[in-house]
Amino acid sequence: MKPVPTEAAITALCGHRFPGGDILVEHWENFLLTDCTGTDLLPDGLLHPVVLFHLPIQGAGTSIAEMFALGQAESDLSIMIESYDWNLYRPMYEKTMYQVSGEIVSAERCTNPDGSLYDRIQFLFEVRHDEVMVASSEIIWHYTRNLL
Amino acid sequence: MNISVGDTIPVWEMSAVSAEKMKTMAALLRDPNPLHWDKDAVAALPMDLGRHTINQGPLGLSYIVNMLHAWAGPGTLCHLHMTFPQVVLDNDKVTAKGIVTNIQAGIAHCEVWLEHDIRGRLLEGSAKVLLTEPSAG
Repeated sequence: MKPVPTEAAITALCGHRFPGGDILVEHWENFLLTDCTGTDLLPDGLLHPVVLFHLPIQGAGTSIAEMFALGQAESDLSIMIESYDWNLYRPMYEKTMYQVSGEIVSAERCTNPDGSLYDRIQFLFEVRHDEVMVASSEIIWHYTRNLL
Repeated sequence: MNISVGDTIPVWEMSAVSAEKMKTMAALLRDPNPLHWDKDAVAALPMDLGRHTINQGPLGLSYIVNMLHAWAGPGTLCHLHMTFPQVVLDNDKVTAKGIVTNIQAGIAHCEVWLEHDIRGRLLEGSAKVLLTEPSAG
């Protein structure tokens, strides 16, 4: 069992910025993603909005594994989802280069009604094309402690 | 499309959530969490879930998106916010449902949720959908 990080170590994550970078989705990737959702490809090379989970993460130069590690997750199994929030300001397309920035916008220690601890970390990613915002993705995860 | 507040959105059904598609999704997302591909890891959790895999959160959202696209057309989703009161398991039959709660400036505000026949709402949240064709670009 990993030791529970200090509250100061968690709150210090607020403001952490990921490197940022460029990303595009090839047709094959959109095809497989869309197939996983149980529907047909969208017309005209439109990306299925399900890309708004991993495209921002990978485009920002990070990974799910790194996000787990930043919050000192006890294990991959210890992460619980509070919410996902996706904004689409413009349609997104295959083979189009997007610029992504990302940061941790809040990080706090919380206590469940039963007294158990968890750390609540909020990630915000912004996706642009030619300097115009096309989408954003917010992820809020709970890093449970001593639950498993 | 003639839409009014209180309208029910036609449902979208996933007849059986696929463990195989969770594996594909895990690879695409580079998601290391074994909950999505290792039934023994899920069985070992203190949640009494049995030998199942747990669907990725984004896939739960995608079923809601598919419902909204079938209703209002592809490319019309503006906003989706979802919380996760319960997990979605492999082989679950789940139904995406929604209702229009407000219409403002050509955008339908909707309450949306993913429902299981026995366990009730597994995901719930809100969505905004353009009621006019989106512009390209």
